Amino acid sequence: MYQYNEVDQKLVDERVEQYRDQTRRYLAGELPEDEFLALRLMNGLYVQRHAPMLRVAIPYGLMNSAQLRKLAHVARKYDRGYGHFTTRTNLQLNWPKLEEVPDILAELAEVQLHAIQTSGNCIRNTTTDHLAGVNVDEIEDPRPYCEIIRQWSTLHPEFAFLPRKFKIAVTGGPQDRAASQVHDIGLHIVRNEAGDVGFEVLVGGGLGRTPVIGKQIREFLPKEDLLSFLEAIIRVYNLNGRRDNKYKARIKILVQAMGIDKFRELVEAEWAEIRDSELKLPETEISRVQNFFKPFEYDSNAADDAVDTLLAENNDFRVWYERNTVAHKVSGYRVVVVSLKPYLKPAGDMTSEQMEAVADLAESYSFGEIRGTHNQNLVLADVKKSDLLAVWQVLADNNLARPNIGTLADMTVCPGGDFCALANAKTLSVADRINEKFEDLDYLYDLGDIKLNFSGCINACAHHHVGNIGLLGVDKKGEDWYQITLGGRDDEQAALGKVLGKAVSAEEVPNVLEKVLNVYVEHRNEGESFIDTFQRIGLATFKENVNATAH
Amino acid sequence: MPLLINRQPAANDSWTLVNEETLSSTGGDIIVPLALLEANADSLQDRKGRVAVQINGDDNIDALLENPNQYELIAIDFPVFRDGRGFSLARLLKRAGFEGQIRATGDVAHDRLTFMERCGFNAFEISEERYSDESLAVFTEVSVRYQGAADDPRPVYHR
Ligand code: SF4
Repeated sequence: MYQYNEVDQKLVDERVEQYRDQTRRYLAGELPEDEFLALRLMNGLYVQRHAPMLRVAIPYGLMNSAQLRKLAHVARKYDRGYGHFTTRTNLQLNWPKLEEVPDILAELAEVQLHAIQTSGNCIRNTTTDHLAGVNVDEIEDPRPYCEIIRQWSTLHPEFAFLPRKFKIAVTGGPQDRAASQVHDIGLHIVRNEAGDVGFEVLVGGGLGRTPVIGKQIREFLPKEDLLSFLEAIIRVYNLNGRRDNKYKARIKILVQAMGIDKFRELVEAEWAEIRDSELKLPETEISRVQNFFKPFEYDSNAADDAVDTLLAENNDFRVWYERNTVAHKVSGYRVVVVSLKPYLKPAGDMTSEQMEAVADLAESYSFGEIRGTHNQNLVLADVKKSDLLAVWQVLADNNLARPNIGTLADMTVCPGGDFCALANAKTLSVADRINEKFEDLDYLYDLGDIKLNFSGCINACAHHHVGNIGLLGVDKKGEDWYQITLGGRDDEQAALGKVLGKAVSAEEVPNVLEKVLNVYVEHRNEGESFIDTFQRIGLATFKENVNATAH
Repeated sequence: MPLLINRQPAANDSWTLVNEETLSSTGGDIIVPLALLEANADSLQDRKGRVAVQINGDDNIDALLENPNQYELIAIDFPVFRDGRGFSLARLLKRAGFEGQIRATGDVAHDRLTFMERCGFNAFEISEERYSDESLAVFTEVSVRYQGAADDPRPVYHR
């Protein structure tokens, strides 16, 4: 993974001292509230329902054991001993003290971590495929480009006060595991007819109040033009995006209002001005950064059949292996997904002890690296098959091995009304109800892959629009109600879910879901997934059946 | 109002920002908002004293970009600090070859000065209550610049 040089380290160190001074001036009454707000937002600090919330950046979801141990330490020393992993692969601390935040940032800087631009109307943490570098169908590893984007966007002087926040996702091949089509900019590594590698560029995707699938603005962008093209898009957005209404300020609204063709024209005109400038990425810089992401020295003797006997003998291990591990491009290795969806615990939450256990596992068995996923799980990407049993046992001892990855119980859930000041409804208790109702793992396995995404309000932090099943908290006269959508997906065939019917109460949610699932089970063809069945039979069949059996 | 030019407090500034009411009654060097300037182009011709222009994110500056050096000072207004269009406007002026002073007016303070300077501003009008001697120190708080900008077009790997 990328290692800071002196320059990188200096930046985070100076930034900590700057923020320490800003905090001091604020506490001394020298800095007005709303101005400090903008500054603390740019350092990842929100004020939440009960306390400030600090969001630490995990650039493109990649961290090492030392960093995860530091996060565990910070959570224990300055917070209540746990943290929350988000869909942007960041870590949120829910209870830090405002006056201690400079100290927290100083501790994080010791291990090359920071909270810069994890909030505010600026370019946020770039995300990518959690299987980058280890999946078979990749054209190129997207992470070096994420790092290049990270450096270019960090403290970008022109883009610190955009109309609204700005999110970029990069994928390395035809499969999309980064929800790139619902990002402000989605970058797909592609190969053109001449055999050159570059990017397909999408723009104007997003969720929230107005969910939109991104539109192609450029079919093929040569690699060396990456930064000039990004700069052109964001400059056009900065100058033209709406600033009168924060709900209409995202780039998707601008692209919609202007039309993609007109928007493309403006971007191309701006790009023509800056394309042949110092923004052009030299091959030497690309390969310098790529060198940090070279494949590990895998054991060429690692046996591919190392666990075959065990799988036959140990049923629990087999079930976990089937659900929570993924094929690796190197023979004899496997990708392990660490489930942060234990039974009846908030999705994405992790205690300091759990973080330390995973940090140790990574160090012993996975080249010392850990990744976050946009579904709030962690990944140990390079585990030798012969080590899987040991890894599984430690994970199981730490309640991190619930064999539920990809199932209904692998829900993506935002913190909702228990923590978030913006929430319309609680999410965690309803997620528990769903878990209780669908506790039987065999039933979940029979249902197969289903993505359930659950947001506590229309801000859609848990991406409910693109869940196969989406749940959205709505407030009806002070009571928590839930709207259900079906048919969304966030992969390469991205689609927005369609509303099933009227919002239902918290108690009703599990029952309605059961009816939905019954419709699927009844109509599916052999081996057909929920989303494929939905696309074949359509919303109407679900509506009819769910409403017919109501009451 | 305190004014910084090239990172130093400026004592004798001859410029006065005018509005519709004060335009005719103000003598000396004046800074005129673009729309007002266009509406009074003729009368301003015969005026004694220099004329500069003030722009903001709502203005169409295409014509100005054709010939920015007709002015020795261009002010860019920040109606509220969240309005970041001024950063891009400054970069466009620099790119168009503007050599004069780019002055930030409006909601300008301390914690944005470095970003503004990097985009091409070299003068900052800061309100009394937001100004302190510490304002001068901000320029050196964060010395690392990853990306090129108006101050230095080279990204970190070219330096
Ligand atoms: S979706 Fe709404 S409730 Fe959930 S975290 Fe985001 S803003 Fe808060």
